[in-house]
Amino acid sequence: MEALEQEIKELIIEALMLEDVTPAEIQPDAALFVEGLGLDSIDALELAMALEERYGVKIGDDPEQNQKIFASVRHLATFVSENRS
Amino acid sequence: MTPPATFVRFRELLDGTAADDTPVAFGRGGERTRRDLLRDLAACAGRIEAVGAGRWLLCSDDSYAAAVALLALARVGSLAVFPPNRQPETLRHLVAGAVGALVDSAQDPPELSGLPAVEILGPAPAAPPGRIRFDRSAAWVEFRTSGTTGDGRPVWKALRHLEDEVIALEERLGASCSPGLQVFSTASHQHIYGLLFRVLWPLAAGRAFQRETLLHTQELIPRIAASREAALVTTPVHLKRLAANAGLLPLRSICRVAFSSGGPLDAETAKAVTEQLGSAPVEMFGSTETGGIAVRRRDRDGEAFRALPRVDLRRAADGRLEVTSPFVSVGDELSDGRARMLSADRIELVPGGGFRLLGRSDRVVKVGEKRLSLPEMERVLAAHPAVAEASLLVLEQRVHAVVAPSASGQPLLDRDERRALCAALIRHLAGHFDPVLLPRAWRFVAALPRDAQDKIPHAALLALFADRRAGSGRPSAPRIVREGREGEDWVRELEVPADLASLEGHFPGRPLVPGVVQLGWALDAATASLGRPPRLAGVETLKFPEPLRPGRIIRVAVSFSDDARRLRFRVSSGERVHAIGRVLLGGATRPAGEAGGDDTRDVESA
Repeated sequence: MEALEQEIKELIIEALMLEDVTPAEIQPDAALFVEGLGLDSIDALELAMALEERYGVKIGDDPEQNQKIFASVRHLATFVSENRS
Repeated sequence: MTPPATFVRFRELLDGTAADDTPVAFGRGGERTRRDLLRDLAACAGRIEAVGAGRWLLCSDDSYAAAVALLALARVGSLAVFPPNRQPETLRHLVAGAVGALVDSAQDPPELSGLPAVEILGPAPAAPPGRIRFDRSAAWVEFRTSGTTGDGRPVWKALRHLEDEVIALEERLGASCSPGLQVFSTASHQHIYGLLFRVLWPLAAGRAFQRETLLHTQELIPRIAASREAALVTTPVHLKRLAANAGLLPLRSICRVAFSSGGPLDAETAKAVTEQLGSAPVEMFGSTETGGIAVRRRDRDGEAFRALPRVDLRRAADGRLEVTSPFVSVGDELSDGRARMLSADRIELVPGGGFRLLGRSDRVVKVGEKRLSLPEMERVLAAHPAVAEASLLVLEQRVHAVVAPSASGQPLLDRDERRALCAALIRHLAGHFDPVLLPRAWRFVAALPRDAQDKIPHAALLALFADRRAGSGRPSAPRIVREGREGEDWVRELEVPADLASLEGHFPGRPLVPGVVQLGWALDAATASLGRPPRLAGVETLKFPEPLRPGRIIRVAVSFSDDARRLRFRVSSGERVHAIGRVLLGGATRPAGEAGGDDTRDVESA
């Protein structure tokens, strides 16, 4: 799981072209949006596309569920490991 | 002007004559009909009257609640103020002068404290609302135009401005929308485009709209697919992502029309949408001040925008667009009830009517639906003690910043506290601008590049971000650490990434930077120094004394002689010299600013 978290951190940095952020600095439990990493709604769209492409996971149609999935790197990793193809 | 027969006027919604079972809204909060709407707005009007008429903040993400609140305010003769964002500073600023806030639930944000909060869809008050104080020409809605906190200028719309535009939209575009069609939107109703297209127009035309805003493709597409017939109100940012990987294909026989506004829609996305949905997106052009101006369907109109009904267009002597229409709410009032305004958009008239957009004259851009004046953000940045000068540009729909640090900012960079400096500048800007507008990447230079006319060449700024436009995953250019003039030389410090794309095949296990790539970096630095890309006309001397391995910081120094016809360059790291040469340059190939990604091409939302 730790390896997957690391991969997802790298994916976030690469897909969103974040500068001055290293994977080590993204806390697995920290909020990705608004506080924490400070991502916004455009980032959310980009990130969802990158996750689908990389892992073949389908993001569901429930907004509240998605809010939970995208809450942190840890939540994303759990979602990917349970749903990857 | 005569509205189409299926239409209801807002007046009829207020006085109860339109109470029937026409669907108004659907979604998470439940389905609602005109009958529900009329009942809810009367109750809401009663609660507003209990507090008092005047300026009311309208803070709801539910488009049905927003419609109820807006009509209730019209009924009691009050003004609706839409906060452009929920930043604490913005709300604090808007609270001043407001009578109260209309909210979804009494748990209002703390920034609204001190203001009476009224639940829009709360229980009916004991007393029925008083008489209808409807006035078509009184200010009804206040928008804030920019993504800037506080001093974004207010723009007022009377009911007649918005209703006349709704009638014009139905006249021009109603044929593509059947009565039973459901309206979905990724654009918020807090801006004029969303308010007109997802709330007011459907409401008047008897089409139901979705109450909530779903931004994720995966949430939105299945809901539209479950509909019988749909229209999608969206922005270029969303449309681009919705159409990626043929994402709109499941909606082919369902989504009759996709509206796009809030910035320029690129031709590639327009083509993808057309292929997937079977019809071209309908691109709206306008602004908060002017309302809707023109519309374009690329399959019919090519590049040309065609004016909406009752909109007159003229190209002013300086090339800017002058708009005269009943939807314009600022500028010169004419005797026929229309108003005239000179916009900042430069245009070219097209034979057969319509116009092509050439760009903005004032560097105002749109990012994620928010309007941003780049000069304004540059001024705010320059007010930070660590900044001497700043220049901004938009790449891939994100703001990028180039900063020349001040005497007090430079030591931070020298101590390698670049990240702390970026963070401090972001914090400084965050107090003034919407988060989506904050710069995504920073470049620090000793001085901003300037051409002979003392202008900052777009191409030179663009060159500083060359490493971010790769697209392949591997960086295609080294990152510029620092740049500026040192005596006769223009000096650039570059961080050469270990996985540079141009190292492919040079050589497995022992990567080296090819000489021709180093020459390319010298020419890039020359571009920044000259303000235009130089054209290589010949090589006089070229040597590569020591091999350059990636993963280190290098220094590229260039200087010119013979009236910029000869370029000397040197690529080094510490004491090692990797490349040195002298090359001949030809005349200018093209003026600076034509290198693509021109931020002045952005347009305003309708």
